[in-house]
Order: sequence, then C-alpha cells, then structure tokens
Amino acid sequence: MRKALALGLVGALAATSLVGCTGSSDNTASNSGADNKDSKGVTIKVVTTYAGEDSNAQNYKDAVAAWEKKTGNKVDDQSATSDETFKTRVITDFQTGSEPDVLFYFNGVDSNDFVEQKKVVSIDEIRAKYPEYASNMKDDLLTASPADGVKYSVPVNGYWEGLFVNKEVLEKAGVEVPTSETTWEEFLTMCQTIKDKGFTPIAASLQEVPHYWFEYTIFNHRSVATHNALPGKADDEQGKAWAAGLDDITTLYEKGFFPENTLTAKDEETFQYFVQDKAAFLIDGSWKIGGIKEAVTDIDNYTVTYVPGMADRKTTDIIGGISSGYFITKKGWDDAAKQAALVDFVEYMTSDEVVSKFAGTSVTALKKGCSVDASTLTALENDAIKFCAGTSGIAGAVEDNLTPDERTPIFGEMAKIVKKDKTSSDAVKEVLDIVADR
Amino acid sequence: MDAKIYKSKKYIAFFLIPAFLFMAVYLYYPFIQNILISFQKIKLLGTPSKGFLDPVYKNYLKMFEEIWKDGKFNTTSNLFISLKNTIITIAATMIGQVGLALLLSLLISNIKKGAGFFRVVFFFPIVVSATALGLLFNLLFLYDGGMINQLLMHLGIIHDNFDWKAQVPIFTMLTPVIWQYVGFYFVILLTGISGISEELYEAASIDGATKFQSVKYITLPLLKNSISTCVILAVTGALKVFDLPWTMFPKGMSGTWLTGTYMYERSQANVSYSAAISILIVALGVILSAVVNRLFKTDDDLDM
Amino acid sequence: MKEKFKISQVFIYAFLIFWSLTTIFPLVWSFMNSFKDKKEIVKNSFSLPFGELFSIENYTKIFENYDILGAYRNSIIISTSVALFVILFAGMAAYILARYNFVGKGILTALLYAGMMFPIYSTIIPMYKLQVDLGLVNNYKVTNPTAQLALTLIAVILPQIAGNLSFAIIVLMSYIKGLPVELEEAAYMEGCNIFQIFFKVILPLSKPSFVTVGIFGFLWSYNDLFTQMFFLRTPDKYAITVLLNNISSREGTNYGMMMASVSLIVIPVIIVYLCLQKYIIKGMVVGAVKG
Repeated sequence: MRKALALGLVGALAATSLVGCTGSSDNTASNSGADNKDSKGVTIKVVTTYAGEDSNAQNYKDAVAAWEKKTGNKVDDQSATSDETFKTRVITDFQTGSEPDVLFYFNGVDSNDFVEQKKVVSIDEIRAKYPEYASNMKDDLLTASPADGVKYSVPVNGYWEGLFVNKEVLEKAGVEVPTSETTWEEFLTMCQTIKDKGFTPIAASLQEVPHYWFEYTIFNHRSVATHNALPGKADDEQGKAWAAGLDDITTLYEKGFFPENTLTAKDEETFQYFVQDKAAFLIDGSWKIGGIKEAVTDIDNYTVTYVPGMADRKTTDIIGGISSGYFITKKGWDDAAKQAALVDFVEYMTSDEVVSKFAGTSVTALKKGCSVDASTLTALENDAIKFCAGTSGIAGAVEDNLTPDERTPIFGEMAKIVKKDKTSSDAVKEVLDIVADR
Repeated sequence: MDAKIYKSKKYIAFFLIPAFLFMAVYLYYPFIQNILISFQKIKLLGTPSKGFLDPVYKNYLKMFEEIWKDGKFNTTSNLFISLKNTIITIAATMIGQVGLALLLSLLISNIKKGAGFFRVVFFFPIVVSATALGLLFNLLFLYDGGMINQLLMHLGIIHDNFDWKAQVPIFTMLTPVIWQYVGFYFVILLTGISGISEELYEAASIDGATKFQSVKYITLPLLKNSISTCVILAVTGALKVFDLPWTMFPKGMSGTWLTGTYMYERSQANVSYSAAISILIVALGVILSAVVNRLFKTDDDLDM
Repeated sequence: MKEKFKISQVFIYAFLIFWSLTTIFPLVWSFMNSFKDKKEIVKNSFSLPFGELFSIENYTKIFENYDILGAYRNSIIISTSVALFVILFAGMAAYILARYNFVGKGILTALLYAGMMFPIYSTIIPMYKLQVDLGLVNNYKVTNPTAQLALTLIAVILPQIAGNLSFAIIVLMSYIKGLPVELEEAAYMEGCNIFQIFFKVILPLSKPSFVTVGIFGFLWSYNDLFTQMFFLRTPDKYAITVLLNNISSREGTNYGMMMASVSLIVIPVIIVYLCLQKYIIKGMVVGAVKG
C-alpha cells in the first residue's frame, strides 16, 4: 500500500534514533567509485519504484545517468510505479529466475518471499567482501527482514504519518489548530464544532484507505513500545486494543465526522474536500506533502500536527519508519563480472550526497544527516520539520506485518464494521485466523 | 449439413490445428495449471506453492460455506453477494443489452436514410476502453460536482448532492455496463440481418405481408443463430465482467461484488482461492451456455 | 408502401436519434472538457470551451511528458497483428466446425465456450512462466533494442490472439452456418478443393462477419490493460492503454488531463473505425446481394 516513500518527503526526525536533517552543508561526496576499475562496461538490471508519480523519478534518472557516466557501466532500468501489479511482477520475476540484479523494494512482509528463498544477499555477507558497504548508515536503523531478522536492504529515506490541517476551515469554524497537548476527547469536541458549522471534520475514504486511522486509533490504545506487534488472540491485550481502535473509528463514523460518501468515495475524492476548504483534517503520510503542494495555490494555509492521543500514547508519539531499500539479488551477486558494479551502484545510490537529494528534509539513516537549503521550503515543509523535531516517540506501522490477504477482513470490510454488520472483535479474529494459517 | 463435398475429412486437421494449438498453449494449459493451484497453498500471484491444502478441497469447502452455512443461505458473504449480483447482471444484460440491440437492429434495417450514420454511432462506446469509460462515468456520477448531480441541481430536481454509489449502487454500476455493450450485440445482429436474402422479403411483401409479419416470420427465425450467440456472449460476459465495475466500484463497495470482481480481488490476496472461484465461473458459464443452446437448439447439429 | 409507414418512421428515427445521443454525448463531453482546466470541469462541465475557458495545456503537458507517438506505434503493431491472425485462424476453424461432422466436434465446441470464460487473471501466471521458458520474456541473450522490442510485442500478441479466438470462431461459425451450401457445392463441382473453397467462396461471402471479428480483435487488444501491463514494462515498450493507466495513476484527480488522454486514446480508434466502416457497408451489400 505504501507508495514509494519519497513524494516530497519532509521533516527531520530529531527524536529517538532517527537522524534528522540539520541544515548542515556537509556535502561529503561518496567515496565509492574508486574500486570499480575492473568492472568497466557491464550492464546491470535494476528495478525500483522511482517511476511514474514518484517525485523522485527525475532525481533517480539523474543519479543513474551520473553513475553510468562515472563508471562506464550501463543500467537496464525497469522501474515502475508501485502497485499490486508491480508487486506481482517482482515476485513472479524471482520465481522464474528473471529477477533484476538490484532491486529497490519494500522491506516489510512484501519481501518475505524472496528472503525466505535466499534470493537476496544480506548486508553482512556483502560486508565480508566489501567492508565499506552501507558504512555511511546507522546500523540500528537498517530494517531487518520480518522473515528471518537479517538485514538485507540499504534504505534511502523513511516516512511518518501525521495529522494535516486545513487552517482556513478551522478558522471559519472557530477552532484552534490541535497542538502537542491536545487529547482525543478534545479532538472529538473540535470535530463536533466543525461539523456544526457545516464543514466535514475529517477527509478520509474508509472504503479505500482506512489504514491511517486504523494505525492511530489502535496506537491510542497501546504505546510506542507495544504498538508494533500482532495480537496472539482476539481477546488478549493487543487484540482488545485493535477492537477498541476499530470501535473508535465506528464512533467517528456514527457522529458523522467523515464525509457523507466516505464508504463510496475514492481517496482522491475525499482528498479534494481537504484541499477545497470543505474538510478540516487529514491523516496521511509524509509523501502527501508533495500532493498537497501540487493541489493548492495557498500552501501556507496548511499545516501538519500530531494526532491527538489518549492513555499511554502521548500525542507527540507518531507512526513512522523506514520501509524500503536497495537489495542486491543472489543472482546478480553470483555473477562475478557484475558483482563489483552492483555494490558500487548501491553505494552510489545510497551515498550521503544522493540520499540528501532524494530525501530533501526527510528521515534518513545517514550517520551525518543530510543537507538542505531551508530557504527553499514552504510553510508546510517548515511545519513538518517542527513536527518531526517535537516527536517524543516513534513506532512502525503494524499493518506492515500483515499480508494483503490478512488485511482483508479489516481494510476490505470497513463498511461492514462501521455499520455494525460485523463486530470489531470478529474482524480481528478473522485476521488472526488467516495469520494462523501462514 | 451433410453435403457430399464435406464427406471427405482429409484436411480438417490442417484447418483446426492453428486455432486450437494457440488456445491449448495459451488458455487450456494455463487453466489446467490453475485447477492445480486451487488445491494448493498459494497466497500471492507468483509465489511458490507451500504444498497442498489440508484438506485438499479446502477452498471448495470454503466456497460452499460462503454460499450455504448453518442450514441457510449465507447472505452476507461476499461470494453469495457476487452470485446474486451476477444473476441480476445476466438478467439485465439479456433484456437490456440483447433486447435493446435487437430492437435497434430491426429498426435500422427498416429505414432508408442515415442507417450508415447510426451504425457508426451505436458502435462508439465499445471503441473506448472500459478503463477510460469507468473514469468517465465516475465523473458523471461524482458525488460532489459530478455531471448528473450538477444537472439535476440545475433543474431543481434535487437540492443536495445525491450519492449514486451508495443509494442505488446496482443501477449505477449496470447502466454503463449495459450501455457500452449494446452496440456490440447490435453489430452482430445487424450482420446476421444483412445475411438474410432480400428476395425473401420481396416475396413476402408480394404475398401481402406487413413489415411486422415479415419481421416475425422471416427475420426472427433466421436470426436464431445470431441471437443465441448474443445470449451466450451476454451470459459469459456477465460472469466475468470486470474492468468497468472495478473502476467504478473498487473492492465491491456498497455490496456490488460480482463474480469477476470478487475473483480479481482475491487474486491479489489469496491466489488459490481466487483460482477456485475462477473454476466456479467457468463451470457456471459452461452450464449456462449449454442451457441457452438447448433453448435455442436449431435443426442442425450443435451437440454440447 | 412508403407513405404507409411514415408515422412509424418518425418513431423509429426518434428512438434511433435518442440512442445515438446517449452514445455520442459522453465522448463529446469528455472531448469538450479536455480543453478545460480541472476546476472548471467540476464547476461547469456543460459550457463550451471557448474564450478564457479554452486551453490546450492538458494536451501540451501530455505530449511533453509522455511518448505518445511511440505508444501509438506499439499499439498499432500489436493490435493489427492480433486482428489479422485472429481472422485467419478463426476463419479456418469456424469453417470446419460449421460444415463438417466429425468425431470430437462436440468436445471442441465445448472447449470453445469454456475458452471464452477463462478470466485472464486465472491464466496469466502459468502463461507468464511459459513465455519466459519460450524466451519471449526477459531474454538476456537478445541485446539489440529493436529485437528486444519485437520480442516483447510478440509476448503480448500471442496470448491476445489466443484470447480472441473463441469469440471469433463462435461468431464466424454462426455466420457461415447461415450461408447457403449450394455455392460451395457448385465450386466443388467445378473442381475446387477445400482450400480453394475456403479462400474463394467462404472468405468473400463472409466478409462482413470477418471484418466484424477483425475489428473486435483489434479493439480488445487495443483496450486490454491487464496483459499489456504484465508484459510491457518500460516506457519505450508501452502501448497506448498502459500509458493512459500510467497517466491516470499519476495525475489522479486532474480531470482535464484525464479527459485529454481519454480523447487521445479514443480518436485514433474512431478514425480507424470510420475508415473500415465503409468497407463493412460494402461487405454487407455483398452479403445481401449474394443470395
């Protein structure tokens, strides 16, 4: 579900372990490229998600061209927009032995198949021969595979999820922008006021993208430490939290805080309410900043803040992480003629310099952080930096632990859940039944 | 049919092989693979099998339970909804599409001027890809600022936006589906009509038959083959219709699942279950077209 | 005679005109709106795009950012090949099935109907693996770009031919069955063999039906998104429908640009169709006179 991660990603996560961008101008060029003299003139096959709507598509093309020029190698690029068909293609390619040499892909459950079949090479194995591989990254920020706990991918940048706000709607409704202190109860009151003034409080398509509300309403019944885990049973603590979270969504639905057509509209449609000053709030990912910027003429009218919390979850605790990176496949690695070129390519694409360009001001795993020219940023982007800086804790998205099939009883059936044709605990139980069948 | 010239069967293999070889390689072989898949544990397209299911017919059991559970129809399950909607679609397409196409083609064969123009125009919707049409109809039925809501508000018929996709989902879904394919059946039927000899009509009108009588006693009986083709195409088409409903009603929203869309949705999450559904679709299709063939059975030899 | 049917003629025309409006209007509407900014479309989609409403920006943006001409080229190569092969192979098989009685005919006919019901999603994976084995997909021995393109296009053409055959055979079969067998017998008496009968009698007589089948083959191939998405992976290999899908996932709610790309896709097919239309009418006249 997650689009390629970098649609105008913004915001420095100074908090916890993620290194934010500090505005330093330390542009250390990558030191790779020195050891590739013997790999002149090979062609490597690369598949990434930097294509189509991804705003880094151009950055990617430039970086590839620069690398080709520098090394004399060629890149056979088969990048495509990430959707279900794309994922099927990637998996099928591995099955038929036509996988690429280098793959930029999701490192959650989506990668389980080829990881389990040992078709990608771990970072440790690469480092045994190329000790400098990914040495510019913080090791504890390299995501381990959920399949076997081994680290395979080198990330470019990460994401966060936050509450985007249309300030004009709030002003007309006489409501203040939620702060880091706002509680869930207060948030409900705000929504009621906004609704009474004739606006839609929350822009969301429960039919198409309930994911963000699912994450945060569940998060509200858990904490940073406990959020990112699947329930063992429907009636254990985690299972109850999931059901309670879903019930919170039902409450929002029943109070009429979502658009009237939330069960039939596409996400694009409800997003239009937000940018056309009809709806006040929107939870979405950091990549949405680019989309908002493109859709509106008055970007200063928008800001991003924390999703109001309750109980153990502080309002300033957020959902975020790093969910994709560069893999080197076993097939490519075993090709002696290409090996050095592949390592060099990944090192180049994840060098401080290139990552800085891709990430803008976003989350990265770089030891030195990346550089950004703050004067070119919009108000929303600056708010995003503040958002990240004020974070007290970060938890990964728990939905990333579920396969598409396992998500269906909840994400595919939100209409039944909010209309109470199906109880929330039954939905959780159905998910766990499928999980048990793995 | 048993003309003398067709007694010798020396070369028939030569004529049949190209077509059936193609279908064997690209349809039947993959589909047999698909049957095997329906008994195995495979979740995502392209991932390897994790062995056979336990019990092997698990998917079929699950399908059965989606239809019939605890001694009664499981009316809230997605498969039950799909089958129900598909039956509605079959009825609607038979009446709406084939009926309308027949009417149009009969009318057009009775006019002198402009027939060429109408022929061209009726065919237009099929020229457009279903995906493009889906996008177009989404704009027509759009809740906020859609063409139809704009129009109705202008005329003062409604005052607030009307949510077509929530209030009358089946109607909203079937209208474009039917509309698009009327032209398709129209062309087939018109081709059939053009194959009927003009002399028959002339002879009839000399005998004093009215237009209506010559339609009833000449055109319709001679069109039987074409009509039965249309009906079969409409039935099988309804069983697997996908692009347009999916573009307008993704993930079966508002209870609009069809067998085609449900199978597609499952193929993104649980491949082997989706394979089982596709076998159900094919089985239903074969049975229904056999029934149609029986009903329309002509004097000749189509034995299925 | 003519006077007698005047009133009914009025009704006939009224109904036919009504239906043509429903088919023309949405396309005209989308063409009209392709010249407007997206904000205008949601506000007043009915006004004509004149004056300050008019802008060709949607089109210039598409031509600047996407390789439309290359996509047209690929589409035409794919769809024309599909149509031609379908006509030939389906015609041959339909002729035999319509005219001969032989052992196994019932089974072949049942297979035909079954073939029409296989949804593409249920055959795509085994088919994909097969094409890899055949060297049509991901063949690294082929490095010449033109050869690569050719292979990729073939990888789309072959399954599409197979996918269209069932339908084509069924339609042609029912048409050929309706032809009077006497003509064939006459040809046989004159010493024609079965090949000559097929090419000199059946093919010309069934022209309208063959053209119909050819057009459907062309259109379905042109509009078939799923197969194209699976095999056409890089922008230089895109066909036009994949490109539309690409634009729509990228431009989302930019309705103006969506309308423009819909128009760009539809217009060439309509032109092709209009050209062939004359041919169909000619074919129909031949069909009508023949008896």
